[in-house]
Amino acid sequence: MSCVLIACPLAYPYEKRAVVGHLQHPVVRPGLCICEHSLPPALEKSSGNLGRREAVEQLDSRVKTRIKASGLKLRFCTNETQATREKFVKKLQGLGFDISVAEVTAPAPAACRLLKERGLRPHLLVHDDLIPEFAEIDKTNPNCVVVGDAAENFSYANVNEAFRVLIGLEKPVLISLGRGRYYKETDGLKLDVGAYMKALEYACDVEAEVVGKPAKAFFESALAEMGVPPQQAIMIGDDIVNDVGGAQQCGMRAVQVRTGKYRPCDENHPQVKPDAYVNNLAEAVDVILGQL
Amino acid sequence: MAARRALKAVLVDLSGTLHVEDSAVPGAQEALKRLRSAPVTIRFVTNTTKECKRDLLERLTKLGFDIAENEIFTSLTAARNLLEQKQVRPLLLVDEKALPDFTGVATEDPNAVVIGLAPEHFHYEMMNKAFRLILDGAPLIAIHKARYFKKKNGLALGPGPFVTGLEYATDTKATVVGKPEKTFFLEALRGTSCAPEEAVMIGDDCRDDVGGAQDAGMRGILVRTGKYRPGDEDKINPAPYLTCESFPEAVEHILDHML
Repeated sequence: MSCVLIACPLAYPYEKRAVVGHLQHPVVRPGLCICEHSLPPALEKSSGNLGRREAVEQLDSRVKTRIKASGLKLRFCTNETQATREKFVKKLQGLGFDISVAEVTAPAPAACRLLKERGLRPHLLVHDDLIPEFAEIDKTNPNCVVVGDAAENFSYANVNEAFRVLIGLEKPVLISLGRGRYYKETDGLKLDVGAYMKALEYACDVEAEVVGKPAKAFFESALAEMGVPPQQAIMIGDDIVNDVGGAQQCGMRAVQVRTGKYRPCDENHPQVKPDAYVNNLAEAVDVILGQL
Repeated sequence: MAARRALKAVLVDLSGTLHVEDSAVPGAQEALKRLRSAPVTIRFVTNTTKECKRDLLERLTKLGFDIAENEIFTSLTAARNLLEQKQVRPLLLVDEKALPDFTGVATEDPNAVVIGLAPEHFHYEMMNKAFRLILDGAPLIAIHKARYFKKKNGLALGPGPFVTGLEYATDTKATVVGKPEKTFFLEALRGTSCAPEEAVMIGDDCRDDVGGAQDAGMRGILVRTGKYRPGDEDKINPAPYLTCESFPEAVEHILDHML
Protein backbone atom coordinates (compact mmCIF):
# COMPACT_ATOMS: atom_id res chain seq x y z
CA MET A 1 0.00 0.00 0.00
CA SER A 2 1.42 3.38 -0.77
CA CYS A 3 -0.14 6.63 0.13
CA VAL A 4 0.22 9.61 -2.09
CA LEU A 5 1.65 12.16 0.23
CA ILE A 6 1.65 15.53 -1.37
CA ALA A 7 3.60 18.04 0.63
CA CYS A 8 4.05 21.73 0.11
CA PRO A 9 6.68 24.09 1.48
CA LEU A 10 5.59 26.35 4.33
CA ALA A 11 6.92 29.36 2.51
CA TYR A 12 4.36 29.24 -0.26
CA PRO A 13 1.83 31.97 0.48
CA TYR A 14 -1.08 30.57 -1.50
CA GLU A 15 -4.00 29.54 0.66
CA LYS A 16 -7.51 28.52 -0.20
CA ARG A 17 -10.22 26.96 1.82
CA ALA A 18 -10.95 23.47 0.57
CA VAL A 19 -14.52 22.37 0.85
CA VAL A 20 -14.68 19.18 -1.08
CA GLY A 21 -16.49 16.26 0.35
CA HIS A 22 -15.38 16.32 3.93
CA LEU A 23 -12.29 18.46 3.46
CA GLN A 24 -13.30 21.42 5.56
CA HIS A 25 -9.96 22.86 6.60
CA PRO A 26 -7.74 25.38 4.90
CA VAL A 27 -5.40 23.56 2.61
CA VAL A 28 -2.07 25.25 2.11
CA ARG A 29 -0.58 23.50 -0.88
CA PRO A 30 -0.84 20.08 0.78
CA GLY A 31 1.54 17.21 0.52
CA LEU A 32 0.18 14.00 -0.94
CA CYS A 33 1.00 10.52 0.26
CA ILE A 34 -0.10 7.77 -2.11
CA CYS A 35 -0.78 4.20 -1.21
CA GLU A 36 0.26 1.90 -4.08
CA HIS A 37 -2.97 -0.01 -3.75
CA SER A 38 -4.86 3.16 -4.58
CA LEU A 39 -3.09 3.13 -7.92
CA PRO A 40 -5.36 1.83 -10.70
CA PRO A 41 -6.07 -1.91 -11.10
CA ALA A 42 -2.96 -2.20 -13.27
CA LEU A 43 -0.97 -2.35 -10.08
CA GLU A 44 -2.97 -4.96 -8.24
CA LYS A 45 -0.94 -8.13 -7.92
CA SER A 46 -3.89 -9.61 -9.76
CA SER A 47 -3.02 -8.16 -13.13
CA GLY A 48 -4.55 -8.95 -16.49
CA ASN A 49 -6.61 -5.79 -16.65
CA LEU A 50 -7.36 -4.95 -20.28
CA GLY A 51 -7.51 -1.27 -19.59
CA ARG A 52 -4.10 -1.37 -17.99
CA ARG A 53 -2.06 0.65 -20.45
CA GLU A 54 -4.83 3.21 -20.66
CA ALA A 55 -5.18 3.39 -16.93
CA VAL A 56 -1.44 3.85 -16.52
CA GLU A 57 -1.37 6.66 -19.04
CA GLN A 58 -4.35 8.21 -17.37
CA LEU A 59 -2.71 7.98 -14.00
CA ASP A 60 0.55 9.32 -15.17
CA SER A 61 -0.87 12.33 -16.94
CA ARG A 62 -3.54 13.05 -14.42
CA VAL A 63 -1.53 12.44 -11.33
CA LYS A 64 2.19 12.72 -11.51
CA THR A 65 2.51 15.48 -14.06
CA ARG A 66 -0.24 17.55 -12.50
CA ILE A 67 1.26 17.16 -9.08
CA LYS A 68 4.71 18.10 -10.38
CA ALA A 69 3.28 21.08 -12.19
CA SER A 70 1.55 22.34 -9.08
CA GLY A 71 4.80 22.27 -7.14
CA LEU A 72 3.55 19.74 -4.64
CA LYS A 73 5.82 17.15 -3.13
CA LEU A 74 4.96 13.53 -3.64
CA ARG A 75 5.86 10.42 -1.70
CA PHE A 76 4.86 6.76 -1.99
CA CYS A 77 4.35 5.05 1.35
CA THR A 78 4.29 1.31 1.25
CA ASN A 79 4.14 -1.57 3.72
CA GLU A 80 5.61 -3.84 1.06
CA THR A 81 8.16 -6.13 2.70
CA GLN A 82 8.45 -8.87 0.13
CA ALA A 83 10.97 -6.87 -1.88
CA THR A 84 13.56 -4.15 -1.58
CA ARG A 85 12.59 -0.62 -2.58
CA GLU A 86 14.66 -1.01 -5.74
CA LYS A 87 12.70 -4.06 -6.81
CA PHE A 88 9.39 -2.48 -5.82
CA VAL A 89 10.15 0.62 -7.85
CA LYS A 90 11.32 -1.44 -10.84
CA LYS A 91 8.01 -3.29 -10.80
CA LEU A 92 6.04 -0.04 -10.83
CA GLN A 93 8.30 1.42 -13.52
CA GLY A 94 7.74 -1.70 -15.57
CA LEU A 95 4.04 -0.95 -15.46
CA GLY A 96 4.71 2.54 -16.72
CA PHE A 97 4.75 4.59 -13.53
CA ASP A 98 7.32 7.33 -13.18
CA ILE A 99 8.61 6.71 -9.68
CA SER A 100 12.05 6.56 -8.08
CA VAL A 101 13.48 4.94 -4.97
CA ALA A 102 13.99 8.36 -3.42
CA GLU A 103 10.24 8.88 -3.43
CA VAL A 104 9.45 5.72 -1.46
CA THR A 105 9.00 5.34 2.31
CA ALA A 106 9.05 1.67 3.31
CA PRO A 107 9.25 -0.26 6.60
CA ALA A 108 12.63 -1.95 6.13
CA PRO A 109 14.74 1.22 5.92
CA ALA A 110 12.72 2.68 8.79
CA ALA A 111 13.48 -0.46 10.80
CA CYS A 112 17.18 -0.19 9.97
CA ARG A 113 17.25 3.35 11.35
CA LEU A 114 15.62 2.10 14.54
CA LEU A 115 18.01 -0.84 14.86
CA LYS A 116 21.06 1.41 14.44
CA GLU A 117 19.72 3.98 16.92
CA ARG A 118 19.20 1.37 19.62
CA GLY A 119 22.20 -0.84 18.97
CA LEU A 120 20.00 -3.79 18.03
CA ARG A 121 21.29 -6.75 16.05
CA PRO A 122 18.40 -8.58 14.39
CA HIS A 123 17.51 -12.16 13.70
CA LEU A 124 15.54 -11.75 10.48
CA LEU A 125 12.30 -13.60 9.74
CA VAL A 126 11.63 -11.93 6.40
CA HIS A 127 11.21 -12.62 2.70
CA ASP A 128 14.51 -13.51 0.99
CA ASP A 129 14.10 -10.55 -1.37
CA LEU A 130 14.06 -8.11 1.56
CA ILE A 131 17.37 -9.20 3.05
CA PRO A 132 19.48 -6.79 0.96
CA GLU A 133 17.77 -3.90 2.80
CA PHE A 134 19.58 -5.10 5.92
CA ALA A 135 22.99 -5.46 4.28
CA GLU A 136 24.53 -2.70 6.40
CA ILE A 137 23.16 -4.06 9.67
CA ASP A 138 25.18 -6.19 12.07
CA LYS A 139 23.31 -9.46 12.34
CA THR A 140 25.77 -11.38 14.51
CA ASN A 141 24.78 -12.50 18.00
CA PRO A 142 21.21 -11.22 17.58
CA ASN A 143 19.51 -9.40 20.43
CA CYS A 144 16.14 -8.91 18.74
CA VAL A 145 13.87 -10.41 16.09
CA VAL A 146 12.57 -8.57 13.03
CA VAL A 147 9.53 -10.12 11.37
CA GLY A 148 8.21 -9.07 7.94
CA ASP A 149 5.88 -10.53 5.32
CA ALA A 150 8.00 -13.64 4.87
CA ALA A 151 5.43 -15.60 2.83
CA GLU A 152 6.91 -19.03 2.04
CA ASN A 153 9.67 -18.37 4.58
CA PHE A 154 7.03 -18.79 7.29
CA SER A 155 7.88 -22.47 7.68
CA TYR A 156 7.51 -24.02 11.13
CA ALA A 157 11.29 -24.34 11.37
CA ASN A 158 11.90 -20.67 10.59
CA VAL A 159 9.19 -19.36 12.91
CA ASN A 160 10.49 -21.70 15.60
CA GLU A 161 14.03 -20.43 15.15
CA ALA A 162 12.86 -16.84 15.57
CA PHE A 163 10.93 -17.93 18.67
CA ARG A 164 14.01 -19.59 20.17
CA VAL A 165 16.09 -16.44 19.68
CA LEU A 166 13.39 -14.32 21.28
CA ILE A 167 12.67 -16.58 24.25
CA GLY A 168 16.39 -16.89 24.92
CA LEU A 169 16.84 -13.14 25.35
CA GLU A 170 16.86 -11.60 28.78
CA LYS A 171 15.00 -8.64 27.31
CA PRO A 172 13.08 -9.91 24.26
CA VAL A 173 12.57 -7.28 21.54
CA LEU A 174 10.25 -8.08 18.63
CA ILE A 175 10.04 -5.64 15.74
CA SER A 176 7.28 -6.14 13.21
CA LEU A 177 7.29 -4.55 9.76
CA GLY A 178 3.56 -3.88 9.81
CA ARG A 179 0.56 -5.51 11.45
CA GLY A 180 -1.64 -6.40 8.46
CA ARG A 181 -3.92 -9.40 8.89
CA TYR A 182 -3.95 -10.57 5.30
CA TYR A 183 -3.56 -9.40 1.71
CA LYS A 184 -4.85 -10.34 -1.69
CA GLU A 185 -2.79 -12.28 -4.20
CA THR A 186 -3.72 -13.67 -7.63
CA ASP A 187 -4.30 -17.07 -6.03
CA GLY A 188 -6.38 -15.87 -3.10
CA LEU A 189 -6.05 -14.27 0.31
CA LYS A 190 -2.88 -14.87 2.30
CA LEU A 191 -1.79 -14.37 5.89
CA ASP A 192 0.17 -11.17 6.41
CA VAL A 193 2.93 -10.32 8.87
CA GLY A 194 0.43 -9.36 11.62
CA ALA A 195 -0.66 -12.97 12.13
CA TYR A 196 2.92 -14.12 12.74
CA MET A 197 3.63 -11.08 14.89
CA LYS A 198 0.71 -12.15 17.09
CA ALA A 199 1.96 -15.74 17.14
CA LEU A 200 5.39 -14.68 18.44
CA GLU A 201 3.85 -12.21 20.89
CA TYR A 202 1.73 -15.00 22.35
CA ALA A 203 4.55 -17.53 22.44
CA CYS A 204 6.95 -15.20 24.28
CA ASP A 205 4.43 -13.05 26.14
CA VAL A 206 5.87 -9.85 24.66
CA GLU A 207 4.47 -6.92 22.71
CA ALA A 208 5.89 -6.18 19.28
CA GLU A 209 6.98 -2.75 18.13
CA VAL A 210 5.41 -2.03 14.76
CA VAL A 211 7.40 -0.24 12.07
CA GLY A 212 5.29 0.50 9.06
CA LYS A 213 1.72 1.69 8.62
CA PRO A 214 -0.24 2.41 10.76
CA ALA A 215 2.55 3.23 13.25
CA LYS A 216 2.89 6.95 13.88
CA ALA A 217 6.66 6.80 13.54
CA PHE A 218 6.31 5.54 9.99
CA PHE A 219 4.21 8.48 8.82
CA GLU A 220 6.42 10.88 10.73
CA SER A 221 9.37 9.37 8.89
CA ALA A 222 7.71 10.01 5.51
CA LEU A 223 6.86 13.58 6.50
CA ALA A 224 10.41 14.17 7.70
CA GLU A 225 11.75 12.84 4.41
CA MET A 226 9.63 15.46 2.63
CA GLY A 227 10.32 18.18 5.17
CA VAL A 228 6.62 18.88 5.67
CA PRO A 229 4.49 19.07 8.84
CA PRO A 230 1.43 16.78 9.10
CA GLN A 231 -1.03 19.66 8.84
CA GLN A 232 0.19 20.29 5.31
CA ALA A 233 -0.03 16.73 4.14
CA ILE A 234 -2.84 14.60 2.79
CA MET A 235 -2.80 10.82 2.62
CA ILE A 236 -4.59 8.90 -0.11
CA GLY A 237 -5.06 5.20 0.54
CA ASP A 238 -7.24 2.13 0.20
CA ASP A 239 -6.80 0.65 3.67
CA ILE A 240 -9.15 2.43 6.05
CA VAL A 241 -7.25 1.44 9.17
CA ASN A 242 -3.62 1.35 8.09
CA ASP A 243 -3.64 4.24 5.59
CA VAL A 244 -6.49 6.56 6.52
CA GLY A 245 -6.72 5.94 10.27
CA GLY A 246 -2.97 5.85 10.72
CA ALA A 247 -2.42 9.12 8.84
CA GLN A 248 -5.18 10.93 10.72
CA GLN A 249 -3.70 9.89 14.04
CA CYS A 250 -0.60 11.76 12.94
CA GLY A 251 -2.48 14.96 12.33
CA MET A 252 -2.76 14.53 8.57
CA ARG A 253 -5.91 14.58 6.54
CA ALA A 254 -6.71 11.37 4.69
CA VAL A 255 -8.76 10.39 1.67
CA GLN A 256 -10.19 6.90 1.15
CA VAL A 257 -10.16 5.51 -2.41
CA ARG A 258 -12.76 2.96 -3.35
CA THR A 259 -10.25 0.59 -4.93
CA GLY A 260 -7.80 -2.07 -3.74
CA LYS A 261 -8.61 -3.37 -0.29
CA TYR A 262 -11.63 -1.09 0.08
CA ARG A 263 -14.94 -2.72 0.96
CA PRO A 264 -18.30 -0.87 1.11
CA CYS A 265 -18.59 -1.63 4.83
CA ASP A 266 -15.51 0.56 5.36
CA GLU A 267 -17.80 3.57 4.95
CA ASN A 268 -19.39 2.58 8.26
CA HIS A 269 -16.16 2.04 10.15
CA PRO A 270 -16.83 2.62 13.86
CA GLN A 271 -13.63 4.54 14.51
CA VAL A 272 -12.19 5.94 11.28
CA LYS A 273 -13.90 8.73 9.36
CA PRO A 274 -11.93 9.71 6.22
CA ASP A 275 -11.81 13.38 5.31
CA ALA A 276 -13.18 12.42 1.89
CA TYR A 277 -14.15 9.41 -0.21
CA VAL A 278 -13.21 9.21 -3.89
CA ASN A 279 -13.63 6.51 -6.47
CA ASN A 280 -9.97 6.30 -7.39
CA LEU A 281 -6.62 7.97 -7.10
CA ALA A 282 -6.99 10.17 -10.18
CA GLU A 283 -10.22 11.54 -8.78
CA ALA A 284 -8.55 12.15 -5.43
CA VAL A 285 -5.90 14.22 -7.10
CA ASP A 286 -8.50 16.05 -9.21
CA VAL A 287 -10.37 16.95 -6.07
CA ILE A 288 -7.34 18.05 -4.08
CA LEU A 289 -5.69 20.05 -6.84
CA GLY A 290 -9.04 21.56 -7.71
CA GLN A 291 -9.17 23.10 -4.28
CA LEU A 292 -5.89 24.91 -4.50
CA MET B 1 -20.13 -25.51 54.89
CA ALA B 2 -22.92 -26.93 52.72
CA ALA B 3 -23.37 -30.68 52.78
CA ARG B 4 -21.44 -32.35 49.98
CA ARG B 5 -23.18 -34.60 47.54
CA ALA B 6 -21.94 -38.19 47.54
CA LEU B 7 -19.04 -38.93 45.24
CA LYS B 8 -20.06 -40.80 42.10
CA ALA B 9 -17.21 -40.20 39.63
CA VAL B 10 -13.43 -40.02 39.74
CA LEU B 11 -11.38 -38.48 36.93
CA VAL B 12 -7.75 -39.55 36.86
CA ASP B 13 -5.00 -37.77 34.94
CA LEU B 14 -2.54 -40.10 33.18
CA SER B 15 0.96 -38.72 32.59
CA GLY B 16 2.48 -37.61 35.90
CA THR B 17 -0.29 -39.14 37.98
CA LEU B 18 -0.64 -42.83 37.11
CA HIS B 19 2.74 -43.07 35.42
CA VAL B 20 5.82 -40.98 34.75
CA GLU B 21 7.22 -41.72 31.30
CA ASP B 22 7.50 -45.49 31.08
CA SER B 23 7.23 -46.29 34.77
CA ALA B 24 4.09 -46.63 36.81
CA VAL B 25 3.84 -44.54 39.99
CA PRO B 26 4.68 -47.01 42.79
CA GLY B 27 1.56 -48.70 44.12
CA ALA B 28 -0.72 -47.13 41.54
CA GLN B 29 -1.90 -50.40 39.98
CA GLU B 30 -3.11 -51.78 43.32
CA ALA B 31 -4.64 -48.44 44.25
CA LEU B 32 -6.68 -48.49 41.06
CA LYS B 33 -7.92 -52.00 41.89
CA ARG B 34 -9.04 -50.77 45.31
CA LEU B 35 -10.79 -47.77 43.76
CA ARG B 36 -12.77 -50.09 41.50
CA SER B 37 -14.26 -51.75 44.60
CA ALA B 38 -16.07 -48.48 45.31
CA PRO B 39 -19.38 -47.49 43.68
CA VAL B 40 -17.81 -44.83 41.45
CA THR B 41 -17.46 -44.34 37.69
CA ILE B 42 -13.83 -43.85 36.67
CA ARG B 43 -12.55 -41.87 33.69
CA PHE B 44 -8.93 -41.52 32.62
CA VAL B 45 -8.38 -38.07 31.17
CA THR B 46 -5.50 -36.46 29.29
CA ASN B 47 -4.60 -33.52 27.07
CA THR B 48 -2.78 -35.48 24.41
CA THR B 49 -2.81 -34.29 20.82
CA LYS B 50 -0.97 -37.16 19.26
CA GLU B 51 -1.87 -40.34 21.00
CA CYS B 52 -5.08 -42.05 20.07
CA LYS B 53 -7.00 -44.00 22.71
CA ARG B 54 -5.73 -47.30 21.40
CA ASP B 55 -2.08 -46.25 21.91
CA LEU B 56 -2.78 -44.94 25.39
CA LEU B 57 -4.58 -48.12 26.34
CA GLU B 58 -1.68 -50.21 25.09
CA ARG B 59 0.83 -48.25 27.14
CA LEU B 60 -1.23 -48.38 30.33
CA THR B 61 -1.97 -52.07 29.96
CA LYS B 62 1.75 -52.77 29.57
CA LEU B 63 2.32 -50.96 32.84
CA GLY B 64 -0.10 -53.27 34.61
CA PHE B 65 -3.18 -51.05 34.78
CA ASP B 66 -6.60 -52.62 34.29
CA ILE B 67 -8.39 -50.11 32.03
CA ALA B 68 -11.06 -50.28 29.32
CA GLU B 69 -10.83 -48.14 26.16
CA ASN B 70 -14.18 -46.51 26.77
CA GLU B 71 -12.96 -45.22 30.14
CA ILE B 72 -10.38 -43.06 28.40
CA PHE B 73 -11.30 -39.46 27.54
CA THR B 74 -8.82 -37.21 25.78
CA SER B 75 -8.82 -33.71 24.34
CA LEU B 76 -9.06 -35.43 20.96
CA THR B 77 -12.31 -37.07 22.11
CA ALA B 78 -13.53 -33.67 23.26
CA ALA B 79 -12.76 -32.25 19.81
CA ARG B 80 -14.54 -35.09 18.08
CA ASN B 81 -17.62 -34.65 20.28
CA LEU B 82 -17.73 -30.98 19.40
CA LEU B 83 -17.45 -31.73 15.67
CA GLU B 84 -20.37 -34.15 15.93
CA GLN B 85 -22.44 -31.67 17.91
CA LYS B 86 -21.84 -28.93 15.35
CA GLN B 87 -22.20 -31.38 12.46
CA VAL B 88 -19.15 -30.02 10.63
CA ARG B 89 -16.43 -31.55 8.47
CA PRO B 90 -12.94 -30.72 9.75
CA LEU B 91 -9.63 -29.85 8.17
CA LEU B 92 -7.57 -31.86 10.65
CA LEU B 93 -4.24 -30.24 11.49
CA VAL B 94 -3.30 -32.97 13.94
CA ASP B 95 -0.54 -35.54 14.26
CA GLU B 96 -1.26 -38.54 12.03
CA LYS B 97 -1.05 -40.81 15.09
CA ALA B 98 -4.15 -39.02 16.36
CA LEU B 99 -6.21 -39.75 13.25
CA PRO B 100 -7.66 -43.08 14.47
CA ASP B 101 -9.68 -41.09 17.03
CA PHE B 102 -11.41 -39.32 14.13
CA THR B 103 -12.37 -42.42 12.19
CA GLY B 104 -15.82 -42.02 10.76
CA VAL B 105 -15.69 -38.23 10.74
CA ALA B 106 -16.16 -36.86 7.22
CA THR B 107 -13.31 -34.62 6.10
CA GLU B 108 -13.97 -33.93 2.40
CA ASP B 109 -14.92 -30.35 1.59
CA PRO B 110 -14.10 -29.18 5.12
CA ASN B 111 -16.08 -26.45 6.85
CA ALA B 112 -14.26 -26.51 10.20
CA VAL B 113 -10.63 -26.43 11.34
CA VAL B 114 -9.14 -28.53 14.15
CA ILE B 115 -5.64 -27.67 15.35
CA GLY B 116 -3.49 -29.86 17.57
CA LEU B 117 0.24 -30.13 18.03
CA ALA B 118 1.28 -30.81 14.44
CA PRO B 119 4.40 -28.90 13.39
CA GLU B 120 4.42 -30.70 10.05
CA HIS B 121 1.17 -28.89 9.20
CA PHE B 122 2.15 -25.43 10.44
CA HIS B 123 3.75 -24.28 7.21
CA TYR B 124 2.56 -21.26 5.23
CA GLU B 125 0.49 -23.11 2.63
CA MET B 126 -1.50 -25.10 5.17
CA MET B 127 -1.94 -22.12 7.46
CA ASN B 128 -3.39 -20.17 4.52
CA LYS B 129 -5.76 -23.03 3.76
CA ALA B 130 -7.00 -23.00 7.35
CA PHE B 131 -7.15 -19.18 7.33
CA ARG B 132 -9.37 -19.06 4.24
CA LEU B 133 -11.78 -21.63 5.68
CA ILE B 134 -12.11 -19.72 8.94
CA LEU B 135 -12.56 -16.41 7.11
CA ASP B 136 -15.42 -18.09 5.24
CA GLY B 137 -17.09 -18.98 8.53
CA ALA B 138 -15.55 -22.31 9.52
CA PRO B 139 -15.28 -22.72 13.32
CA LEU B 140 -11.74 -22.98 14.68
CA ILE B 141 -11.32 -25.71 17.28
CA ALA B 142 -8.06 -25.87 19.23
CA ILE B 143 -7.14 -29.05 21.08
CA HIS B 144 -5.23 -26.76 23.43
CA LYS B 145 -3.28 -23.49 23.26
CA ALA B 146 0.07 -24.45 24.75
CA ARG B 147 2.71 -21.81 23.94
CA TYR B 148 5.64 -24.19 23.69
CA PHE B 149 6.96 -27.46 24.96
CA LYS B 150 10.31 -28.93 25.81
CA LYS B 151 12.16 -31.13 23.38
CA LYS B 152 15.54 -32.79 23.73
CA ASN B 153 17.24 -30.04 21.71
CA GLY B 154 15.41 -27.02 23.14
CA LEU B 155 11.99 -25.39 23.21
CA ALA B 156 9.51 -25.77 20.36
CA LEU B 157 6.38 -23.80 19.48
CA GLY B 158 3.10 -25.42 20.46
CA PRO B 159 -0.23 -24.94 18.69
CA GLY B 160 -1.13 -21.86 20.78
CA PRO B 161 0.83 -19.27 18.79
CA PHE B 162 -0.57 -20.52 15.45
CA VAL B 163 -4.11 -20.53 16.81
CA THR B 164 -3.56 -16.97 18.06
CA GLY B 165 -2.27 -15.85 14.66
CA LEU B 166 -5.34 -17.31 12.94
CA GLU B 167 -7.66 -15.70 15.50
CA TYR B 168 -6.07 -12.32 14.77
CA ALA B 169 -6.12 -12.70 10.99
CA THR B 170 -9.78 -13.78 10.93
CA ASP B 171 -10.97 -11.68 13.87
CA THR B 172 -12.55 -14.78 15.46
CA LYS B 173 -12.03 -16.79 18.64
CA ALA B 174 -11.09 -20.45 18.76
CA THR B 175 -13.00 -22.94 20.90
CA VAL B 176 -10.39 -24.60 23.08
CA VAL B 177 -11.39 -28.11 24.12
CA GLY B 178 -8.48 -29.36 26.24
CA LYS B 179 -7.70 -28.90 29.94
CA PRO B 180 -8.12 -26.55 31.74
CA GLU B 181 -11.25 -25.57 29.77
CA LYS B 182 -14.54 -26.19 31.53
CA THR B 183 -15.95 -27.99 28.49
CA PHE B 184 -13.24 -30.63 28.78
CA PHE B 185 -14.32 -31.66 32.26
CA LEU B 186 -18.03 -31.47 31.52
CA GLU B 187 -17.57 -33.55 28.37
CA ALA B 188 -15.54 -36.11 30.32
CA LEU B 189 -18.53 -36.57 32.63
CA ARG B 190 -21.00 -36.84 29.76
CA GLY B 191 -22.43 -40.36 29.73
CA THR B 192 -21.58 -40.97 33.41
CA SER B 193 -24.82 -39.33 34.61
CA CYS B 194 -22.78 -37.58 37.26
CA ALA B 195 -22.86 -33.88 37.97
CA PRO B 196 -19.56 -31.98 38.53
CA GLU B 197 -20.41 -31.66 42.23
CA GLU B 198 -20.44 -35.45 42.43
CA ALA B 199 -16.99 -35.82 40.90
CA VAL B 200 -13.34 -35.44 41.90
CA MET B 201 -10.27 -34.98 39.67
CA ILE B 202 -6.84 -36.35 40.61
CA GLY B 203 -3.84 -34.79 38.82
CA ASP B 204 -0.28 -33.45 39.03
CA ASP B 205 -0.80 -30.18 37.15
CA CYS B 206 -2.18 -27.70 39.65
CA ARG B 207 -3.52 -25.23 37.11
CA ASP B 208 -4.68 -27.48 34.29
CA ASP B 209 -5.90 -30.51 36.28
CA VAL B 210 -7.00 -29.27 39.70
CA GLY B 211 -7.76 -25.64 38.92
CA GLY B 212 -9.64 -26.48 35.77
CA ALA B 213 -11.70 -29.20 37.48
CA GLN B 214 -12.58 -26.98 40.43
CA ASP B 215 -13.64 -24.18 38.06
CA ALA B 216 -16.02 -26.70 36.52
CA GLY B 217 -17.58 -27.43 39.89
CA MET B 218 -15.66 -30.55 40.79
CA ARG B 219 -13.29 -31.16 43.70
CA GLY B 220 -9.58 -31.46 42.91
CA ILE B 221 -6.82 -33.57 44.46
CA LEU B 222 -3.27 -32.48 43.69
CA VAL B 223 -0.61 -35.21 43.76
CA ARG B 224 3.08 -34.50 44.32
CA THR B 225 4.33 -36.55 41.40
CA GLY B 226 5.06 -35.77 37.74
CA LYS B 227 5.33 -32.04 37.02
CA TYR B 228 4.41 -31.00 40.58
CA ARG B 229 6.74 -28.41 42.15
CA PRO B 230 6.65 -27.43 45.85
CA GLY B 231 4.35 -24.49 46.32
CA ASP B 232 2.13 -25.29 43.33
CA GLU B 233 -0.84 -25.68 45.69
CA ASP B 234 -0.59 -21.98 46.56
CA LYS B 235 -0.93 -20.93 42.96
CA ILE B 236 -4.64 -21.48 42.49
CA ASN B 237 -7.65 -19.99 44.19
CA PRO B 238 -9.46 -21.71 45.69
CA ALA B 239 -6.67 -24.04 46.81
CA PRO B 240 -6.93 -27.74 45.96
CA TYR B 241 -9.48 -29.66 48.00
CA LEU B 242 -6.55 -31.90 48.97
CA THR B 243 -2.83 -32.12 48.27
CA CYS B 244 -1.21 -35.50 48.86
CA GLU B 245 1.83 -37.56 47.99
CA SER B 246 0.61 -39.62 45.07
CA PHE B 247 -2.26 -41.51 43.48
CA PRO B 248 -2.41 -44.30 46.10
CA GLU B 249 -2.82 -41.74 48.92
CA ALA B 250 -5.50 -39.96 46.91
CA VAL B 251 -7.42 -43.23 46.54
CA GLU B 252 -7.12 -43.91 50.30
CA HIS B 253 -8.57 -40.50 51.04
CA ILE B 254 -11.48 -41.08 48.67
CA LEU B 255 -12.29 -44.48 50.16
CA ASP B 256 -12.03 -43.21 53.75
CA HIS B 257 -13.66 -39.78 53.49
CA MET B 258 -15.57 -39.13 50.31
CA LEU B 259 -18.03 -41.96 49.76
